[in-house]
Amino acid sequence: MSQTQVNSICPFCGVGCGMGLVVNDGCINAVKPLSKHPISQGKLCAKGWNTPFGISKHNRITQPLMKKEGVFEVIGWQEALTYIAQNLQKCIRESGSQSVGVISSARATNEDNYAAQKFARAVLKTNNIDHCARICHSPSVVGLKQTLGSGAMTNSIDDVAKADVILIIGADSTENHAIIGGHIMQAKLRGAKLIVVDPRQTRLAQIADLHLQLNIGSNIALLNGLLNIIFQHNWQNDDFLARRCEGTDALKKHVADYPLDKVAELTGIEGQKLVEAAKLYSQANAAFLAYGIGITQFISGTNNVIAVSNLALVCGQIGREGTGVNPLRGQNNVQGACDMGSLPNVYPDYQSAADKKVREKFSHAWNTTVAQAPGLTSLGMSNQARNGKFRGLIICGEDPIVTDPDRNKVEASMRAMDLLVVVELFMTETAKMADIVLPAASFAEKDGTFTNCERRVQLIHKAIEPPGEAKADWQILSEIAKKMGLGGLMNWQTSEQIFDEMAQLTSSFSGMTYSLLAKKNGIQWPCNAEHPKGSRWLHTTTFPIGKGKLIPVDHVPTNEQPDAYYPFWFTTTRLHYHYGCGSMTRQSPLLERETPNGLLYIHPQDALDLGLKNHQAVTVSSRRGYLETRIVLSNELVPGLLSMPYHFKEAPSNMLTNDAMDPTTEMPELKVCAVNIVPLPKNQSPCPSSISTDIEDWVIQ
Amino acid sequence: MLNDIYLLKDLSILNAHLAQHYSVVRLAKDTDGEVTWTEQAGATSAPLFGHANLPLTSPKAFFFPEQESLYKFDGKTFETIHPKVKPIVLFGVQACDLTAIAYQDQFFKHDPYYQTRRDSVLLVGIDCEAPCKNGFCAEVNAGPHVNSATADLILSRLKIDDRTNTSEWLIVASSEKGVDSLRDLTLEKADEGHFKLRTKLGDQVRSQFADFSYISNAIEYLNDKSIPAQLWEELSVRCLSCSGCTNLCPTCSCYSTFEVIEAEPISNTLEFETVRCWDSCLFESFQREASDHNPSHKAAQRVERFWFHKFSDEYLPEFERHGCVGCGRCEQTCPGTIGVHSVMKRIDEVCCN
Amino acid sequence: MLQLTPQTIRIVDFYDDGTDSRHFTFEPIGFALESPIAIGQFFMLTVPSRGLAPFTYTSFPDEQGRFNALIRKVGKLTDQLFTCKKGDLLGYNGPYGNGWPLAEINQKEVLIVAGGCGLAPVTTAIDYLIDQGRANSVTLLYASRDQESQVLKQERERWQSKINVYETLDIQGDKDHSGLPTEHLSAVLNKVDHHPDILLTCGPEAMMSNVAKMCVDLGFKSTDIWMSIERRMRCGVGLCGHCYIGSTYACKQGPTYRYDEFLALEKANTVAHLYPQYFQYC
Ligand SMILES: Cc1cc2nc3c(=O)[nH]c(=O)nc-3n(C[C@H](O)[C@H](O)[C@H](O)COP(=O)(O)OP(=O)(O)OC[C@H]3O[C@@H](n4cnc5c(N)ncnc54)[C@H](O)[C@@H]3O)c2cc1C
Ligand code: SF4
Ligand code: FES
Repeated sequence: MSQTQVNSICPFCGVGCGMGLVVNDGCINAVKPLSKHPISQGKLCAKGWNTPFGISKHNRITQPLMKKEGVFEVIGWQEALTYIAQNLQKCIRESGSQSVGVISSARATNEDNYAAQKFARAVLKTNNIDHCARICHSPSVVGLKQTLGSGAMTNSIDDVAKADVILIIGADSTENHAIIGGHIMQAKLRGAKLIVVDPRQTRLAQIADLHLQLNIGSNIALLNGLLNIIFQHNWQNDDFLARRCEGTDALKKHVADYPLDKVAELTGIEGQKLVEAAKLYSQANAAFLAYGIGITQFISGTNNVIAVSNLALVCGQIGREGTGVNPLRGQNNVQGACDMGSLPNVYPDYQSAADKKVREKFSHAWNTTVAQAPGLTSLGMSNQARNGKFRGLIICGEDPIVTDPDRNKVEASMRAMDLLVVVELFMTETAKMADIVLPAASFAEKDGTFTNCERRVQLIHKAIEPPGEAKADWQILSEIAKKMGLGGLMNWQTSEQIFDEMAQLTSSFSGMTYSLLAKKNGIQWPCNAEHPKGSRWLHTTTFPIGKGKLIPVDHVPTNEQPDAYYPFWFTTTRLHYHYGCGSMTRQSPLLERETPNGLLYIHPQDALDLGLKNHQAVTVSSRRGYLETRIVLSNELVPGLLSMPYHFKEAPSNMLTNDAMDPTTEMPELKVCAVNIVPLPKNQSPCPSSISTDIEDWVIQ
Repeated sequence: MLNDIYLLKDLSILNAHLAQHYSVVRLAKDTDGEVTWTEQAGATSAPLFGHANLPLTSPKAFFFPEQESLYKFDGKTFETIHPKVKPIVLFGVQACDLTAIAYQDQFFKHDPYYQTRRDSVLLVGIDCEAPCKNGFCAEVNAGPHVNSATADLILSRLKIDDRTNTSEWLIVASSEKGVDSLRDLTLEKADEGHFKLRTKLGDQVRSQFADFSYISNAIEYLNDKSIPAQLWEELSVRCLSCSGCTNLCPTCSCYSTFEVIEAEPISNTLEFETVRCWDSCLFESFQREASDHNPSHKAAQRVERFWFHKFSDEYLPEFERHGCVGCGRCEQTCPGTIGVHSVMKRIDEVCCN
Repeated sequence: MLQLTPQTIRIVDFYDDGTDSRHFTFEPIGFALESPIAIGQFFMLTVPSRGLAPFTYTSFPDEQGRFNALIRKVGKLTDQLFTCKKGDLLGYNGPYGNGWPLAEINQKEVLIVAGGCGLAPVTTAIDYLIDQGRANSVTLLYASRDQESQVLKQERERWQSKINVYETLDIQGDKDHSGLPTEHLSAVLNKVDHHPDILLTCGPEAMMSNVAKMCVDLGFKSTDIWMSIERRMRCGVGLCGHCYIGSTYACKQGPTYRYDEFLALEKANTVAHLYPQYFQYC
């Protein structure tokens, strides 16, 4: 037994906890928390602790697979690459560069993402590059860019410890960002005041000083209402507004339209509680504001984000220790995937793809001509596919079939494509639909960097060899480029070379190197000549756009509301134990066992009214789809609201969710729709919805 | 006992001697500052002391690994998968972890896998010279000095000569295995005076511990069952069921099993391997039965259970001590701040009134 | 040392016996079931690919070591088991646990209250008492949800003429048989000649605890009430920790517990229903 430990970063959520991978005879059978890690300080959540199961070599895809007559067959790398290259070229030849694209992954490294967007822009010559931030925090990126000039967390996780008021909106952080949730609980114990805005009674809501249990989808009404109260009581930070912001008067006038009684009506919260919350937040020495996808996943997602930013600016709760506007990003590297430009509209470091100068800069640096036309988002690609205009897609490590809204449409789009290549660890639902599946290396099998939600770029290290013939995403894309005759563009030997290339072409990362990252337990961007040590806080003296913009926004009702046919509100949630589509966490026998017996949460009163018993089998339907599961009684909800975690392919909540979109970002309204619920006949068990229920189905010939 | 005590100035002599027969595993600090148990063949420096460098993980996994294959079924018969072991010396284990190992030796007395691994390990304990950050071993009778029933050899630093930067070590061979391990090594005999000095130093360290009477109080409250259910409820809201406490606790031993199916390409048959892995009684599904009946469905029950298991007198007949050895690791790893100090303080606070 | 590796057994035969339930006959392969099996003990059954779970013997091993078990399909392991065919090989560890108190039941008039599959663990106790010529001293009250879900049909038919058997159905049947066992308990006791003074019970935990309480009220000593408790089990030998009841492990110190001892164990921890239903933190 020879055992070594390789320190790395947890591959699950955006907190980015430190994790020691314990390597035993070439396998990782255990992980250990890292006591010296600046954020996790010796802690991990259940997902983190169960990492070894998620990357165990059992059930991994280890060789390239090609679907022939509906069954996957093992093929060689060369055959796979040639097939992909030829078919991509065919699509481009016949239908233009706009007919192909790449979906990268918020789980992959910065280097993989940089390579993916470069592959799209320089090799395929298209801006059709996107990743799942589209469906979690694209409104943050866009909204905060407008108001503050940067879409990331303005402050650091550590600031929770320095705040005397903590305001959490639409984030179930003890379950989704457990270690941040822990920091918040700790702050509360120390005496900080905690305000939680959430339609559900989350764990944090249970321990909060104030829980504003708003009607789902009434965020803007609430935030405007708070602003109005603040202006009325003169609680705004006049000094800060004068020095740092513009648009105060217009905003003040606008929110005057949100008097207490109207807001109380729209949000369902007593006026007194609103005043209390407004006072606590505005009068705090330092108030830390964090929000999650309970703000972004609405048709008004971008405006919701703007409203949040308005509140922080008006109270001057930004640019100092213990304050800030802090979007809690979902995946381990969703921040990085955005930073690296895995988005149709921006190059690395948010350099605009619409800007000719930027395109010229990259054309010059890469020694080629980059894509010129605007790109499609993932939903755009999916829609165009159903029109026959989008034909070839490479998906690296995402499972849109399970995680995107309106699964039936997504499925139809994938069927319509001529070429679907999926680079994956496991045979996910999406991979099952692919023409070619390529074996990817997991985070433990490659070097690179992840950027956590507080902008901390952290090194991950290769601890073991990839199983079989698996490779890192960037290596795979380079090989395809080579087969397409453009190998010179992506001729890297190590991930460090990619990082260095990226750092040269950006400002925020220009001061970073692998060796500096290693020395400092990661560095928070921007790190450049101006901020050689990185930046704990953004916007301390000025905003990148000069003054902070206060932009009036209005409450809009959600796209769908309960009616006679679909009488219940429906929202999606996540469980502490699972992550994304569950492809990694559900490999753990312990986490899998934690899966509740039913997945549809319902208030006991509703269950009583419908005559339903705990764990009774039901069908849930919306205008888009239908699924079967069991109910779980839960006091976390209010009557009339149902909720469901989205991790489970047996009962994919995205069968039901609404794909109505935020006009600015195309963020679908995943957080709310209307559904109906009907009990299944007695003795009938819920029938799982997955495409094929068992791994056995894809056993290779 | 007094026959087997020795003096040594340069510990690397002992290290080198043991390295002839064992792989030497000692505490080491990596570049990130993490302290881990690491195989170090030719180490010459003095071992790291637990009191200054308590590793976040105890040596538990050397005997009871996080994942361990138990047996496999080839379609016809079940075959035991014997653990592969080699002789290891754990060089420089502090008292609390040794106490925990002794506790688990008792618990796993009849477990063939544990015992196979355990037999191949020589335990060299080291006396702590100061309280560690979260530790309270003195309060639960598990340290700071090594109890001789828990180690094969004990190292105790008696004197530090600042001028020459050398120290004098007392070496106690406290088991037969320990005595054997010193064979062929010529060592200076120590005398009763040295032994007394060790005791005196131990008392000194003991007196440096902060006042942990809240822990003893809480143990009493736990055992006279005077803790209101409300308190467990309050604490359990902060339990995220991460399993960190049970994973890091050096005396936690619950496990689950799972099956790994391996296709055997040559004979085209399937092989089923049963693996056991660490489990945690804090998981909601730990006791959930197939019928959905769950005797511990409330988080509060599970949190209470954890502390019951660590501090109940009902376990004294079997183990002659409580399960908690005072290392304080749960305090550091708990995201919800319900590690041992937080919980015991709160119990003391509530029950005192 | 304990032996965690299972031994191989073969499915000799099975037949459907109640809703989702089958009565299996197993046969040891390459080993002899030597140690006499005490009534109410259990074994761990391994179904390759699905792991292991505890089941009770419903018969003593015969000369070839063949024995029976009644198994209800409730989840992953049992689902897989129900796809097995005659001749398929499984794993076996056992016998485990403490069974029913022999000395006591040898001397006393025995009342048995079983619910659902809980009839399985008392089967060998009944057969034992019949073998001892003490059939007259046995009264069985068997409760099930409905007629279809009644298990061990052949056994019950065999017992019918020998011991006192009363059957109740939660949601079916005539006035004398319909309802929960607790509603019938006094009536049954009034009907039997020898008044029972020891209770063996097995079934859902709520049923057992109500029956036990009632029997105490009816004059049973709590030291004469024995229950077989179900817990999740992963090893059967006191190592995995899953089956804890207070400071004991049901697989080792149980699954048969004396009522007063069981209560004491439970009391060591706050019993679930004592927790406040809705909890407000501050
Ligand atoms: C002492 C004892 C005797 C029993 N005797 C019988 C009997 O004679 N007949 C009968 O039908 N049932 C009996 N049971 C109950 C039986 O063990 C469970 O119904 C069975 O374990 C369900 O397994 P499953 O895999 O189908 O369920 P699942 O819920 O799918 O279980 C998943 C996994 O959990 C484990 N598991 C689930 N529930 C239990 C449990 N209660 N105990 C242990 N492991 C569990 C299984 O190993 C399985 O791999 C007995 C239980 C005990 C404790
Ligand atoms: S909080 Fe996030 S980063 Fe930390 S261990 Fe959990 S999943 Fe991993
Ligand atoms: S079944 Fe493992 S301890 Fe009882």
